[in-house]
Amino acid sequence: MAMEEKERLRSPSVWLPRDPGEAVRLKEAFGGDAVYVAGSTLLRTQWEAGTAPVPAHLIDLASIPGLDRIEETDDGLVIGSLARLRDCAAHPAAAGKAPLLVSAVKAIAGASVRNQATLGGNVVYRVGDSMPALLALDAELIWHDGRTEETIGAAEWLAGPSARPGILTAIRLPDRESGMTSNRRRWFAFHKVGRREAFVPSLVTVAIAASVAPDGTIADIRIAAGGGQTVPRRLTDAERLLAGRIPDAELLEHVYDAALEQYAPAPDPFAADSYRKRTAANLIAAELWKSLREPDRAGKGDGDASESID
Amino acid sequence: MLLNRSTSRDRWRVRPDGPGKVTGKLAYLTDMTAPNMLHGMVLRSPHPHARIVSIQTEKAMAMAGVHAVLTYADVPGLNRFGIAHPDHPVFCEDRVRFVGDAVAAVAADTPELAAEALKRIEVVYEPLPVVDDPELALRDDAPRLHEQGNVLHSNDYAFGDLEAAFAACAHIVEETYVTPRQMHVYMETEGGLFVPEENGRLTVYSPTQHGFMDRMQLARILNRPEADIRVVSSPIGGSFGGKDELNVQPYGALLALACGRPVKLHNSRFESVRAGLKRHPMRIAMRTGADASGKLLAHQARIVSDAGPYSTLSAEVLNFAVEHVLGPYRYGAAEVKSVSVFTNNGMSGEFRGFGGNQAIFALEGQLDRLAGKLGMDPWELRRLNLRKPEDPGPFGQPIVPTDGARQVWEALLESRLWRERSSPSAEARPREPWRKIGYGAAFVMHGSGLGVGIPDPAGGRLALAADGKIEAAFGYEEFGQGLIASLEQMLVESYGFGPGDLRIVIGDTDVVPDSGSSTASRATSMMWKSLRRLHGPFTERLLGAAAEALGREARTLRIGEGGIRSLESGELLLSYGDLARAASEPIVCETSFSFPASPVERVGSHYLYTYCSVAVKAEVDTRTGRVRVLDQFHAVAAGPVVNPQGFLGQIEGGSGMALGFALTEDAVMEKGVYLTRNLDTYLIPTIAELSGTFEVLPIEELPEGDEHGPRGIGEVGSVGLAPAIAQAVYDATGKRASKLPIDPELLQERFRAE
Repeated sequence: MAMEEKERLRSPSVWLPRDPGEAVRLKEAFGGDAVYVAGSTLLRTQWEAGTAPVPAHLIDLASIPGLDRIEETDDGLVIGSLARLRDCAAHPAAAGKAPLLVSAVKAIAGASVRNQATLGGNVVYRVGDSMPALLALDAELIWHDGRTEETIGAAEWLAGPSARPGILTAIRLPDRESGMTSNRRRWFAFHKVGRREAFVPSLVTVAIAASVAPDGTIADIRIAAGGGQTVPRRLTDAERLLAGRIPDAELLEHVYDAALEQYAPAPDPFAADSYRKRTAANLIAAELWKSLREPDRAGKGDGDASESID
Repeated sequence: MLLNRSTSRDRWRVRPDGPGKVTGKLAYLTDMTAPNMLHGMVLRSPHPHARIVSIQTEKAMAMAGVHAVLTYADVPGLNRFGIAHPDHPVFCEDRVRFVGDAVAAVAADTPELAAEALKRIEVVYEPLPVVDDPELALRDDAPRLHEQGNVLHSNDYAFGDLEAAFAACAHIVEETYVTPRQMHVYMETEGGLFVPEENGRLTVYSPTQHGFMDRMQLARILNRPEADIRVVSSPIGGSFGGKDELNVQPYGALLALACGRPVKLHNSRFESVRAGLKRHPMRIAMRTGADASGKLLAHQARIVSDAGPYSTLSAEVLNFAVEHVLGPYRYGAAEVKSVSVFTNNGMSGEFRGFGGNQAIFALEGQLDRLAGKLGMDPWELRRLNLRKPEDPGPFGQPIVPTDGARQVWEALLESRLWRERSSPSAEARPREPWRKIGYGAAFVMHGSGLGVGIPDPAGGRLALAADGKIEAAFGYEEFGQGLIASLEQMLVESYGFGPGDLRIVIGDTDVVPDSGSSTASRATSMMWKSLRRLHGPFTERLLGAAAEALGREARTLRIGEGGIRSLESGELLLSYGDLARAASEPIVCETSFSFPASPVERVGSHYLYTYCSVAVKAEVDTRTGRVRVLDQFHAVAAGPVVNPQGFLGQIEGGSGMALGFALTEDAVMEKGVYLTRNLDTYLIPTIAELSGTFEVLPIEELPEGDEHGPRGIGEVGSVGLAPAIAQAVYDATGKRASKLPIDPELLQERFRAE
């Protein structure tokens, strides 16, 4: 057999770096012949479908100690990029500090995939269903370029170029409310809509994180939407309409229109853009309506993100 | 009495094949390997329609580790297959007609090498215009896919003066119903192991629903006597009609014989989607009219069925649809026109329900729409027009009379679910304004057996084997439906054997009698009938031999667990092992007969029918337009329940398929190419969809003197749910869905705060 044929039929080499620096150096050495691998769940579907070649070298980030940690800090929550989705969903600190993220994570793929896939992998995918939740939570991404660490806001990262040197090492969820003698009520909502109830690619994802003053005035709100191949974005027009206001039926009409206008889904072969835009606007308006009708359901600092797939 | 585990009591039995399946210990045929085995792969057309200019296999053949590269030139016999009309090329000669068409096949040392070898086969294609719409295919200027044109089959039926009948109608509804290209999605994709034996025979280990049919087709392709081929065909990891036709067998057989070594083929899911059969997408235009009281006067249907490029059983499926668009109702006049059309889309073929699913979705939709126009309760409209026990069948043919139609109609009316509809309790009403609840029901009359004009043999064999096992041999297949369990249960309950006394032999053409196919809801009925016919002779032979051995009178003995027992005391007198040793000659009884058929000429007419009614409670979320089924009730009049667990499994499983047909499943094609290439975009229901309440009420009573026993239930569960869901959606939202799967966009509404 010719060498070239042997090469083609060979399984890829798997590299086990011990720290981020080594991982980045391996990537620099192999260039396009290597890919970073976390849970490998997405890569495997691409290899099987023939939409991405199986590379000669896999750099297994799971071999780096500590990248899968989930820990509460003084000012928030830090989730290592290699934390499995299953562990993010089950971790008490995540449930306490970021129920919105937990809801989003539980809606990703199926249980067997969540046992293997990582939060970092879902983030780096850019269109992962955790992203709208991370945008609504104003998350920060910690990157390592082989020499130094850099922290960049999730929204800022999404707005930039998709290729970025280095690896994502952690996701930080800052606790914006901490330190305030908060009498504000916080609430969250997450929805994923696909063509099936579970284990399905999303058509529309919507995440909302808000804090509301005792008189019902919305003090702060972040609304993000994605779905399918759509890079998730904040719906800032709807947010602006709501900030400092006590929502009523008329305002919800404007919020619906603003969301409909600003949400721009990337085309999907199985659903019309018009349907997806109306779905996003409906879900946002309906969540706000629910928060008016049932202010208690959210509870103080204990957001309602129970309807992960609705 | 509702059928479930607790009401079935000790009739609810552990399936003999259950533990092996749930623990994963059972080896399916596609799990098999053989020493010195090669791996086969098939090169399929990348084009939906093209002329083949040339095929060069030299580069692939030159690769080390590649042992055979075959094309049409290497087929010794008929280069075609197809159960009813063999027009599907094993290997295409000069033209490909769909993206699954096979051009060449390779056997190599490893699957990776085989895949690499496929890339080295050079095929030059000249693309031809793609015929991707059956309506366009019927036009005079459409490219002809076959010499005889694009009409595969047409079948019309009419009675009465249709024009006058429509003229007399007070209300007429017209609608066109469109159904999806549904995929079987068996867990085990197509494959098998093909072994050339030292004695020159070929053994084929590959799932199929009719081993003898595969053997005949393979003999025709290989140009060898059928006796030189052994087909081992069970156990099967799901089929639902999809593995009745040949799939990989011709390639495995040809490669194994060419190499003189065992060859294994096993389709990836991608290849299964691309090459495998699907349910025929149909467009059914209907016009139905009634007088002011709701009496149906006129019914007209035109069916256009997308067959894909080759025949398989498309004509038979169309015939079934023609019969079932008429269904259980009586009309003053009716006319059905139908056509099955060749296209360059994926292959359509046999699928659980066999054209009844599409037909009943349309027919029941008409009844619901007409009830709306009449301002009448839709279920009452059905009663008004329902057939009576002695009425002839849909084609006017004599059928076996039962009271099933009335019985399932009444059962639905009295069901908990339907009563809730008339008085929904407060908690059943959702708090949130976007959640809308609705109720719907549908009626199903489904024929079993292959129908008039198609040979429909049946039969089986019972023997006392030399080792003392009671051997039951049938040419049927176990593909998950519980056939082995049902056979065991009948032998235990009606003969008195213990489960440990039995050896069930199926799925091997060398040792089983030809019992016909495991299709058309026929296997359990035919096993029941075989065992009934064998009961007298086999019991007599066993007891006679035992009487001789024991020196007692046969009438003092009976069959029991472990052996022959005293009729009076039940005491075990002679084990089956001792009986086998004592018997002077082998004790073997065999029976063969045909599935009962109506004494008429019209091809496809059925004689035995199962009746079913389905009620559904569904919720529509108008924010997203998504539909959820919350509650289901199925009444099934099919005679005695042979195996409660199997019965429930068939209705639940069939309903799950119907749920997918109604809400999520469609193998989407664009210009002859699948957009849904894998199960990440082709969406079958998950446990999240199937979590609602589910009740099954079997109606076991049959008229006195009925000799046909249990009717088929393998398909009916998959038929009635879709129209019931469509009506529930209408009840909830006021919107009619005439196309499946239901498009959520149709049901979506702008949210408005109150």
